[in-house]
This record gives sequence, C-alpha cells and structure tokens, in this order.
Amino acid sequence: MGRRVFISGLGLVVPHGEDSTSVFDRVYQGDSAIQLVRSGTAEFGSDVPLAVTEFRPESRIPKTQQLFMARASQMAVVAAANALESSGLAQGHGVKQSGIYMGCGLGGAEVLQEGYRTYFVRQSRRGRPSTVPMIMASGPASHISLSFGIQGPAHTYSIACASSTVAIGEAFRAIRDGYLDSALSGGAEAMLNDGSIAAWERLGVLAKSHKSGPETSSRPFDLERTGFVLGEGAVLLILEAEQTLQKRGVEPIAEIIGYGTSSDAFSLTEPAIVGQEAAMRLALKDADIEPEEIHYINAHATGTSSGDPVEIQAIKSVFGDHASSLALSSTKSVHGHLVGASGALEVAITAMALQRGRIPPTATLTNPDPQCDLDCVPVHGREAPGLKTAVSNSFAFGGSNATLVLRKT
Amino acid sequence: MSAYSYLAEVLAEKYDVDEDKIQPEATLADLGLDSLMVVEFLFDVEDEFDIEVPDERAEFETLNEAAALIDELIKIKRD
Repeated sequence: MGRRVFISGLGLVVPHGEDSTSVFDRVYQGDSAIQLVRSGTAEFGSDVPLAVTEFRPESRIPKTQQLFMARASQMAVVAAANALESSGLAQGHGVKQSGIYMGCGLGGAEVLQEGYRTYFVRQSRRGRPSTVPMIMASGPASHISLSFGIQGPAHTYSIACASSTVAIGEAFRAIRDGYLDSALSGGAEAMLNDGSIAAWERLGVLAKSHKSGPETSSRPFDLERTGFVLGEGAVLLILEAEQTLQKRGVEPIAEIIGYGTSSDAFSLTEPAIVGQEAAMRLALKDADIEPEEIHYINAHATGTSSGDPVEIQAIKSVFGDHASSLALSSTKSVHGHLVGASGALEVAITAMALQRGRIPPTATLTNPDPQCDLDCVPVHGREAPGLKTAVSNSFAFGGSNATLVLRKT
Repeated sequence: MSAYSYLAEVLAEKYDVDEDKIQPEATLADLGLDSLMVVEFLFDVEDEFDIEVPDERAEFETLNEAAALIDELIKIKRD
C-alpha cells in the first residue's frame, strides 16, 4: 500500500477567470464563458464560438521572460504561481525538490504560426531565432521549473485531450510510490490562433453557434449538439503526500485515490467503448473501491455526435445498475474544451465539487438525446451533502483514455 | 539613428535593462542577456538595419564594439 496523495492547492488561468472559488461558483451556476469570436481577419476569417481566457501577463511575468514564452507557457507560470500561493507550499517547504508533471497538446501554436508566416508569406528564412524553444510542447513545464527554481523532474505528457489527466495520474503515482513528496501537475493549452482554428474547422468537430445564443453552443448529451467549443488556459494542482501535508498542517481540497489508463487500438478520432471501460475499471481497481461507491462522474463528453453516447455506454457497462443512480455531468458545457488543459480543469472542478458537496450541471442540456439516458444533471447544479467519491474522465484523439478517482477529505 | 543609440534603446525598452547600466563598456552578459537573448537581440539589430552579421564577426564583447561592428556593416552595405 503506497502513500496517500492529496490535492492541496489549485491555480487556474481559465475562461472563467483565475479565482478558483468564483470559477467553481460560475460553473455550478451554469454561467457560460463561451462567446462568439471573430477568428482571423474581417475578410479572411470565421466567426467561431470559443472559450477565450482573458489573460494579461504584464504584471505577473518579467518583460524579458515574456519575450521568450509562448502564451501557453505564460499562462502555465501564472497558474503555477496561483497554485503555490493557494497551497502555501512556496514558503520554504521543499518546493525545490518538487516534480512538475504537465499536459500540453500543441505548445507554442501561435509562435509556430508566426514562423510559417515568415517562411511562406514573407518568403524569408529569417524567422525569430527563439522559435524552436518557444514552440516546444514541454515549454510550460520548463518555464515553471525556471520561474520557481524547481529541480525535480519536469515532464510533459502530450496525449491530446487526455494530456493533463495523464500528467496528474503519473504525478499521483510518483508521490504514492515514494519517488516525490510533492508535485505541480496539470496542463496548459493556447491554440486559439487562426491557423489552428482553421485546421480544427476542417476536421468538422467544432460546435456551430447555437440559436439560443453562442454561449450555449457547447451542448454535451443534447440532441442539438454540433461539436465542441475550443478553449484555452492553464490549470495547476499541487499534489502532496499525506506526511508532507501533515507536517505543514494544511487542509487538503480532496484526495486522489485511483488512476487508470488504456488505449483503444481502434481509431485515430473515433472513440471506443471497450477502451473507455478499461480505463474506468482500472481506476476503480487502483482505488480499491466498488463501482457502487461512485456518486458523481465529471464526464469527458465534449458535445460531438459520436463521442457522448459512447461514453454513456461505457459508463453503463462499468457501473451496471448503479449507472442510473449516479450523477454525471459535462462541465465543458460552460468552459469549453481546453484540450491539453481540460482534464486538469475538470479534476479541479471535481475536487471543489467534493469539497463543497455540490454537483455542477451540464448547463446547456435542455433537450436530452435518448441515447444519453442517464442522470446528466441537466441545467441546474445540485446540492449533494453526501457526495464522497467521484470520477473524472478524459478520452483523447488517438484512442488514449484516462480516468482519475477522487475522494472527499 | 546611430547603431549605439539603437542598441541602447532596444536594450532598455525590449529587454528591460536598467538605463543606468547601459554603458559603452558593458557586455551583453553584464546586462543580463543569456545566449538565446543575444541571438534574438542580434536578430532585432539585423532587421532594423537590413544587414547580416556574419557568424565569425559576432564575437564582440562590449556595446561599443557591437556598435562599431554594426556601423561598419551598414557602411559596407551602403558602399
């Protein structure tokens, strides 16, 4: 039996803002951060529902450092500062020996776009010399290490939509198994540059603006769902071993008790029931609990026509009769899909849901798809004082699946 | 604008170097620029004056030496 691992701090730079309490309250109230944005230019562009993060690094990161940091890295460093502050870990409690476990899909997407603009449009081979170190997907982890003098492992997991869930799971294991006492773990993603959005549009998975308003365009489990809403941001969790936490006398937010991963070996973009089932079963086994002990699932459900019913099927298969008595919701309905940062945001929301005894809703679910016939917590959040154990799912392009199990402390 | 005053301006504005420290005999390392920053700094200078600093000439130490090199390259380009 390994050591117990707790979440002792949260740092958010997300579409709903930076203050974790107000982020949770807005998600719980179904207050959407999604808006219609003109991507590109007036002539050469497109109006797309997006979950943009208002982010001004000016007062938070020294100017010369900003010059060499892509947007994802800047957001990650500010989220890490917020997380360290919220946990109190920075005040001389071994932050130097911490690990950094980050998820990131694309890295410096906007810097890559600028590099190609120089090459193809200006027909010049003279792009910025710092292009390469700025586009690395591992940039956010490196910059957190540099900014806070953290000398443990700084690892990046690039597993599309499951990146930060896997990062948190791997950090959890490293602490549980005694390799580390603490870690900063989560994800960062900032790919709302027009070149990236144009590529996503061509894949046909982005949501169209919904008739009841662009802020309602992300509609997981709903008959009128048309795809997902891309978002951006960074989310860092402070994970700590029980012993370290006790020494510091800090109250944790929640405990992580299980982690499971699997691969579908089926399709690059289509989800598969068996792979998702495997991840959930492995996570429950890892947590050493029965399916009946789960009260709430923060679903991966992004709002695509094929994805949401597959997850419902997988949940039915894993939880059997209990599937109809648990609550599940997709908070992507209000914060969109942050890709490499999405899992970490959803774990943070799940941890706060456990702490507060409040289940956040699938805020836009007004016309449920009969294929999604479980309790998807439509429209309104729910007081749940008995909420003790919850699951957070992330299922990625490429067929990688990751599930975390969290418990109230 | 002379090369020196341009260098001083970029260092102060873009690289946030304290203006009191920007002296003719200061090296870029003295001013807190690491190797990546130096490469980026040279890129700014090359772009501004439409010149290219040959690798073998990028061995200057002080700001004065850098300014002299750039002035020389500008002159070669004009002639």
